[in-house]
Amino acid sequence: MSVTVLSSHHGRRRADRSHIALHIGALAVLAVLLYPLAWLVATSFKPADEVLASLALLPSRLATENYGTAAEGIEGVTLLQLFGNSLTISLGAVLGNVLSCSLAAYAFARLRFTMRGPLFAFMIATIMLPHHAVLIPQYIVFNQLGMVNTFWPMVLPKFLATDAFFVFLIVQFMRGLPRELDEAAKIDGCGPFRIFARVVLPLTRPALITTAIFTFIWTWNDFFTQLIYLFEPDKYTLTLALRTFVDTSSQSAYGPMFAMSVFALLPIVLFFLAFQRLLVEGMANSGLKG
Amino acid sequence: MPRPRTRASCAAAVAIALCATLTGCGGGASATADGKVTLRFTWWGNTDRAARTEKAVAAFERAHPGIDVQTSYSTYDSYKQKLATQAAGDDVPDLIQLDYRQISQYAGSGVMLDLAEQRKALPTGEMDPKLLKTGQVGGRQYALPMGVGTQTVAYDKAAWRAAGVIQPQAGWSWQDWVKALRQVKEHRGTYAMTDPGAAEDQFEIWLRGRGKQLYGKDGQVAFSAGDLARWWTFTSKLRKEGLVSPATDTTQMSGSVEDTPMGRKLSVAEFNWDAPSAGYEAMYGDRLAIAPTPTGEDGTFGQYYKPSMLLGISAGSEHPREAAQFIDFLLNSDKAADILGVDRGTPVNSRQRSRVLSSVTGFQKQVARLQTSLRGKLDPPPAAPPRGDNGLQSTFQRDYDQVSFEKLTPREAAENFLTEARAELRP
Amino acid sequence: MANTSTARATSAPASEAAPSGAQRAGGTGGRRPYGQGRPPVRERQGAAWVFLSPWVLGATVLTLLPMAVSLYLSFTDYNLFDPPSWVGLRNYTQMFTEDARLYRSVGNTLLYVFIAVPLQLALALAAALALKSMRRGRSFYRSAFYAPSLLGASMSIALVWRAIFNDGGTVDNLLSGVGVHIGGWVNQPGWALLSVALLTVWQFGAPMVIFLAGLQQIPQEMYEAAAVDGAGPWRKFASITLPMLSPVLFFNLVLQTIQAFQVFTPAFAISSGRGGPADSTLFYTLYLYERGFTSSHMGYASAMAWMLLLAIGIVTAVLFRTSKSWVFYANEEGG
Repeated sequence: MSVTVLSSHHGRRRADRSHIALHIGALAVLAVLLYPLAWLVATSFKPADEVLASLALLPSRLATENYGTAAEGIEGVTLLQLFGNSLTISLGAVLGNVLSCSLAAYAFARLRFTMRGPLFAFMIATIMLPHHAVLIPQYIVFNQLGMVNTFWPMVLPKFLATDAFFVFLIVQFMRGLPRELDEAAKIDGCGPFRIFARVVLPLTRPALITTAIFTFIWTWNDFFTQLIYLFEPDKYTLTLALRTFVDTSSQSAYGPMFAMSVFALLPIVLFFLAFQRLLVEGMANSGLKG
Repeated sequence: MPRPRTRASCAAAVAIALCATLTGCGGGASATADGKVTLRFTWWGNTDRAARTEKAVAAFERAHPGIDVQTSYSTYDSYKQKLATQAAGDDVPDLIQLDYRQISQYAGSGVMLDLAEQRKALPTGEMDPKLLKTGQVGGRQYALPMGVGTQTVAYDKAAWRAAGVIQPQAGWSWQDWVKALRQVKEHRGTYAMTDPGAAEDQFEIWLRGRGKQLYGKDGQVAFSAGDLARWWTFTSKLRKEGLVSPATDTTQMSGSVEDTPMGRKLSVAEFNWDAPSAGYEAMYGDRLAIAPTPTGEDGTFGQYYKPSMLLGISAGSEHPREAAQFIDFLLNSDKAADILGVDRGTPVNSRQRSRVLSSVTGFQKQVARLQTSLRGKLDPPPAAPPRGDNGLQSTFQRDYDQVSFEKLTPREAAENFLTEARAELRP
Repeated sequence: MANTSTARATSAPASEAAPSGAQRAGGTGGRRPYGQGRPPVRERQGAAWVFLSPWVLGATVLTLLPMAVSLYLSFTDYNLFDPPSWVGLRNYTQMFTEDARLYRSVGNTLLYVFIAVPLQLALALAAALALKSMRRGRSFYRSAFYAPSLLGASMSIALVWRAIFNDGGTVDNLLSGVGVHIGGWVNQPGWALLSVALLTVWQFGAPMVIFLAGLQQIPQEMYEAAAVDGAGPWRKFASITLPMLSPVLFFNLVLQTIQAFQVFTPAFAISSGRGGPADSTLFYTLYLYERGFTSSHMGYASAMAWMLLLAIGIVTAVLFRTSKSWVFYANEEGG
């Protein structure tokens, strides 16, 4: 792990050798990991009669027509609009989760209040109930609020910290932070809000970025919630749209479905690449030292 | 320390912008803002159906400027869950497309409007009364069939001909069928057809060929465990002989043409409905042919005209008259018939039926020919399956999985199925 | 190990992970200046509730209320269409006495949990540690390792899985090449569950990123000080990395276990929603979904959901208990 800190010459050479081994190992693992992805992309170029029938990786001819079909979007909705809808929901969810979960997490990790233990236990318990069981009651709530067929059922819960996964994640990170920092700020006369905003939050950045990345990807890929709440096709997301290519009661268009999957993959790849850089900086560049 | 504050105000700005976007989108459902009536219409299907349906909806809206039809579609599996959730949440759209297996449940629970109330807006005089019956529950008409289709054997003409099998004709028996499979298998060296044991639809035609029915008038199961065990013993024998697909291939079927053994080019024949068989065209081109399904020993046809899907109005609809007008347009008008074609099966309106069938092209010509050849030979369709039946199709498939993987004998699995069916049915 | 920060981290008494009003961690508690500068408790309480307010609203309206409804439904016969009718404990007794498929699904789920969770966590931890020790290409590898997780268990990846693990697919060909003839995995009852578990293991990106973020938080000075003390890599791993990472390891363990108990999407996608072949991938939630939505027994499905909650709750409580002995927090306020 921390071979880098070895300083003797002998150690350095050994470290180099172990580094080469490490890279060879990593590349081998990578080949296995990326094979299914290669398969996914290759399938999107297969002609209709090969998509499911062929067990070969490469298509017999490069069928770009799948992309032509997928680029047209679905009936009455352009690809651009599908992207826009997915993006609005996912970014809204990211913003909501980062804001609300960090607030709740700070209270659980650092503040004192009555019932903290039971409430924390309740929060963890909410992760444990399978969501299919609460789907219908939740639908009724959103229907009462007049929010069916809007983006709110996907976004509003995130602003209300209902993703206990992330609250718990941020709590775990905040509890890893040295308390001396809070104490010092407190002595300087900072209240809990300023300690939260200026001391704790900047130091929790890896967890917040993790929250942002996961929320984006999971919301982007989510199917069931969007299926239940979105009615009109012009509110459909990419995830919903690509399913419309596959109807189990008749014939399907698997080729275009794969092509649209590749389209749908691009934004999450970009989002991940953009934010994973921030993840690297970690403590070193966080607000404390800067 | 100004940085956090800037970030916070940024976030607030984005939040406000987002609220605006979301609310903007939310305002779409304003039904009466411009005095227009808005109808919500939900259905399932593939992309081709989507294109046709949207076109037909646009034509309707042009003819009725005061009505705006909002459509929503998804694929069948998703559709079932979505509609059930809407029903539970008391939020059923005005116009809903239903499967034969759903109608008893939806009508029986008061979700559907009795169409007799809208008789004026929705005449049914040109529709075949026998087919109209498929949309009735307890003597009331709750939905109208949007199209009908019948069972077929879809097969690769070239492969069958190469094996020396004569083209199957209406009236061929199950024995003829087995003989044909054997010939094709010997020529090909591998199995000829997809194992039909897993599909309740195929069991039903076999059962009807023996003069029996899936369900009786009382809404209970009308066949015995012995009947089902006999069917599964029959298919198991074929499987063990290598005439039909092995368990490992049969179990992968999801309902879509493409991931059936024939769709994956592993077999050269398969039972399927007539219109959806068009899906094999992508793999077989003009080698694709369809034949009637085998008949019982005394020549009784097991297959029948089944509504591919039904269309009804929800009981909670605020605009039942407009909804009825829409159904009338979709099922009775020349314009809609020309646009929709045979996508949802052959039209039920007899005038539209001959209009559409005379103008079909390509594979659909084979469908038209087949339907013409069967005219007058088939028994009327059974009444809609009783409540509680909607999960039984997958139970059937699951129980047969146990048989084909040889974890249960046909008899044990048949007993299991009947026990579950009796527990599920709520006539 | 003379370095003070290392010593503090490793010797700080573990407090239980769930913040509890009654528990009070020692360690640095004494350094906290009591009295002056500390606002009265009531005011601090007020601040806490301000921070908690979005969560309280969401937890009440969007979580507690639906949960209460589903608890009520679990004592009823409810088919989604007609009003629910009270049946008392019938759903629960039926689960224990009449439902063989339920037992099957429990068995499948447990098997899955025991395969998928350890494998996925081990792979994620190994990948995170490898990434941390890389001087070059770290960013590239991290992205590449994460790539599978970008997809989720979508329909397209399920189809890819079915192709790769089918008769004559890549895996079959490779294994046949070395003389192992299994045939397809996804279509054989004995192997399908493993192929589903491998899909989850393959997507180890989420726990890996969390491990990485945890590794980032470990102050580099601790390693430097340990190096001065002459600690080797293994020693540093055992006495710095592992204890400092334990809150994150604990988080990953708890969450992956909870999620594994609720596994739904990969099996749903690969088996086209049926849990086949021959019920071999019929997981608990898949069966719950089938009962609730396919055969419209939402009351029974709700009862199943609450039994699962109870089961996961017990497992989690056990994990929290044992965490006392192996999870170390740099600092913990009791009070």
